[in-house]
Amino acid sequence: MKLSPYLYISPFFILFAIVGLYPLLYTAWVSLHDWHLIGGQGDFVGLKNFADVLQQPRFYNALKNTFSIFLLSSIPQIITAIFVAWMLDANLRAKTFWRMGVLLPYVVAPVAVSLIFSKLFADESGLINTLLTQIGLSPIGWHADSFAAHVAIATMVNFRWTGYNTLIFLAAMQAVPRELYEAAVVDGANRVHQFFHVTLPSLRPTMIFVVITSTIGGLQIFDEPRMYDTLGAGGADKQWQTLTMYLYELGWGPTRSFGRASAVAWLLFLIIIVIGVVNFLLTSRISNSEGKATKKGAQA
Amino acid sequence: MKRSLALLSVVALGLAACSSNTPAGDESSAGADPNAPVTLRVATFNEFGYEELFTEYMADHPNVKIEHKKAATTDESRDNLNTRLAAGSGLSDIEAVEVDWLPELMQYADKFVDLTNDDVKDRWLEWKTAAATTQDGALIGYGTDIGPEAVCYRADLFEAAGLPSDRAEVAKLLEGDWAKYFEVGKQFVANSDAAWYDSSDATFQGMVNQVAEPFENPDGTPKPLADNTEIKAIYDQIMQAKADGLSAGYAQWSEDWTAAFQNNGFATMLCPGWMMGVIEGNAAGVTGWDVADVFPGGGGNWGGSYLTVPKQSENQEAARELAAWLTAPEQQIKAFKSKGTFPSQVEALESEDLLSQTNEFFNDAPTGEILANRAAAVSVTPYKGPNYFSIRATVTDALNRVESGTDDPASSWDKALEAYQALGLS
Amino acid sequence: MSSVPMIEQTAGKGAARYARRKLGMSGGTRRAGWGTYLILTIVLLISVYPLYYATQLASSDAATIAKNPIPPLLPQGNFFNNMNRVLNSDINFWKAFWNSVTVSTVTAVFLVIFSTLAGYAFAKLRFRGKGPLLLFVIATMAVPAQLGIVPLFIVMSKLGLTGNLAAVIIPNLVTAFGVFWMTQYLRQALPYELIEAARVDGCSMIQTFRHVAIPAAAPAAAMLALFTFVAQWTNFFWPFIVLDASNPTLPVALQLLQASYFKDYSLIMAGVVISTLPLILVFIVTGRRLVAGVMEGAVKG
Repeated sequence: MKLSPYLYISPFFILFAIVGLYPLLYTAWVSLHDWHLIGGQGDFVGLKNFADVLQQPRFYNALKNTFSIFLLSSIPQIITAIFVAWMLDANLRAKTFWRMGVLLPYVVAPVAVSLIFSKLFADESGLINTLLTQIGLSPIGWHADSFAAHVAIATMVNFRWTGYNTLIFLAAMQAVPRELYEAAVVDGANRVHQFFHVTLPSLRPTMIFVVITSTIGGLQIFDEPRMYDTLGAGGADKQWQTLTMYLYELGWGPTRSFGRASAVAWLLFLIIIVIGVVNFLLTSRISNSEGKATKKGAQA
Repeated sequence: MKRSLALLSVVALGLAACSSNTPAGDESSAGADPNAPVTLRVATFNEFGYEELFTEYMADHPNVKIEHKKAATTDESRDNLNTRLAAGSGLSDIEAVEVDWLPELMQYADKFVDLTNDDVKDRWLEWKTAAATTQDGALIGYGTDIGPEAVCYRADLFEAAGLPSDRAEVAKLLEGDWAKYFEVGKQFVANSDAAWYDSSDATFQGMVNQVAEPFENPDGTPKPLADNTEIKAIYDQIMQAKADGLSAGYAQWSEDWTAAFQNNGFATMLCPGWMMGVIEGNAAGVTGWDVADVFPGGGGNWGGSYLTVPKQSENQEAARELAAWLTAPEQQIKAFKSKGTFPSQVEALESEDLLSQTNEFFNDAPTGEILANRAAAVSVTPYKGPNYFSIRATVTDALNRVESGTDDPASSWDKALEAYQALGLS
Repeated sequence: MSSVPMIEQTAGKGAARYARRKLGMSGGTRRAGWGTYLILTIVLLISVYPLYYATQLASSDAATIAKNPIPPLLPQGNFFNNMNRVLNSDINFWKAFWNSVTVSTVTAVFLVIFSTLAGYAFAKLRFRGKGPLLLFVIATMAVPAQLGIVPLFIVMSKLGLTGNLAAVIIPNLVTAFGVFWMTQYLRQALPYELIEAARVDGCSMIQTFRHVAIPAAAPAAAMLALFTFVAQWTNFFWPFIVLDASNPTLPVALQLLQASYFKDYSLIMAGVVISTLPLILVFIVTGRRLVAGVMEGAVKG
């Protein structure tokens, strides 16, 4: 009886130990050594790799870029997703059609998304700049200007993931007991009120899930910025080099410093944990304070 | 009766295969049967032109089965090579490597088989072999192709700008150093809407490959970038040319660069043999491309590859034999004809088969002969030590910052110096 | 207190559907106005356009693409020609295709099973160390995947699996994401009352899981299966590293379209379209039930 819960989780944990935990511990071990990617293990250096990395201006540049792209992608994405989900939650004709249409970008592979958007965002021959010039505006330096580059990269992320999050939110919205809405209507709440006082608070577990997964995914962003230009190094001024690109450059670039790359990986890990916890607390607090208003309704 | 005949012929075939297969020295002393079935895995990237050669080899060697792993880009191939070197297993029996990876691979040359052998002695141009030879004299790679550089140009744009357009006259026009090349460029842009060349970085590549010790001393120590007057002079020259409007400002391989071929973006390109296929593909339908037997500042080589046999391989001898066969002059000429990979083998460079090669797209230019001349003109092999890439990247970034308009030349150079400091080499 | 799930449990699905309809619950309480349709249409156009753009390029040729930054509105005549070029290039297209089907299907099926098991335990069972274990699972999601490549490759080559499809399947059989997803869903969608009701009816632990947890998890499991299938289908870097040339998946094979020095965008985009098309088909065939199922089948507390 007491054993059986462990039976449920054991297949996961056994496999996980091999393909997840081992690489994790290996990386931790590597980060404490002078470790050349190919030359292999060198001396034990304690936390020197961490200290070295933290002294590099490039680390902070990458950190800044990562956050910028993360904010430009996750915030508009979550807001849009909730909004579109709310639209889809209405009594629509051809529901499935709309739902599937929204999810369509998700089936396009990230590599393909990058190929398509690189073409759209090309500085001179791209569709977007050509349209801008045709209506008399000046073209945008998608690769020269760091903010523009961040926006372009965030657009690729948003394109692929907004529909996905929309559907997750929609599933949660459909789960909101309709009695709650009825009760709210009886209390005289209009649509906007319903949205803020019934829909949003009910999304809490989903919101936590989406916020945490997109924090993790967003801070680890790699494919899109790497494929944003042909060199894949984050631009001449490293204006769109993210932390994962930086760690990749350290480990696989000319220095081949697997030790330092591992140190960056662990630093990124800690950053994600901190941001994840902060987000978790924020999200649950917001949903909680909103939730109180409808507690009564929920019991009805 | 029939059966025994068949049997006899099988035996005879087997014997024939045996005799043709055994080289002068008997290498099968390790106990391995040279005719035992063996599967050889070969990893390449881009276009080596090997597909038909593999079929041919397998037909001649029925016991050999070749599996070809091909990567789209050199970057992917390199990631693959590094991961498997780091993990200590999984490499193919033959791994193709680009000349630019050698400075690093040389640091762990012990992970590759020393391929020194009498049957390939003096097969390649001296500088081609030298780049793959360690200080102890071990040869870790067999040369495949090289990239001797000529100048490809748009005859129609030259003519419209009032410059000579015939390839012999253009060669005469550009004969000289880089200052001359930039000077003619200024004349050209004054009379044309097109730029003179495509990219500052590509031009930098051409210039820096003529410097004997660009970033490091021959003992492997780095030259501090702040004191590297030679490189700074090249940087200033390119920046001046950029200010004069000679560069179209594209990053090579980018979407804009690809599109510019169709839109008269620029009039010349530094042009190794493999680049001609690129131009032909990108500029499909554009007439006027030609190639001149000239290169600013003498000769230059850009790119080229080697075949290595990693020690991880369980079929090192069979792999070496295949690599030796693939890099033999006859085979390399076939590869050149199919994919334009220009041979690095001395004998191939003199072959009539190669010299008579012409290229229809480039106005029927005798590309075989021109490239052979350009290969002969290569006089400097730059020393590329362990830190070549790290240091070069700081200068390349500086050039690209100006090229893309994010920075001005002076402040961009300062950033390069900072980046050099951050490498922590000295 | 006659909630629909209770009706469903006691009186069966038909009755539940009837009750839902009576309550006007099947499609939300609001009727959609033209504004909603307008906004959704715009969203839809944005969703579809990039893929349509790829089709526009795939139906053109390299020179035309370079000359015209704005492609003609309707696809040009070169589409099937480019498709043919992809299928008849030296890529072993069909082998790669079936490999992708195998990898994606096997991964999706097992991942869903393992995740549901673990998710059920985390969401609804009490056991020692549950909180820390779940936190640990979530925390491991934060480890950058790039670094795992070398150790993972070492594991796979120790197991003798490099070059084998299993090397792509095994590392993706379990993901922290899957467990987290099922846990969060079951927490909300499976009321304790149902579990207790099942127990009262004399169901064992396993029977409870089969008869109560699995039906409750079905919609989320279907969605997880779709997500996993798509993720594996589009996965490039790891399969590229671990598989051999003779045995590629579709993205690994299709990258060869860019292998020549010269980038022919019409061909590359044809590859994009051809690799996305099967997913869209899967999506259309199963998606209807899937997407609808997520919404309607859900048991809510």
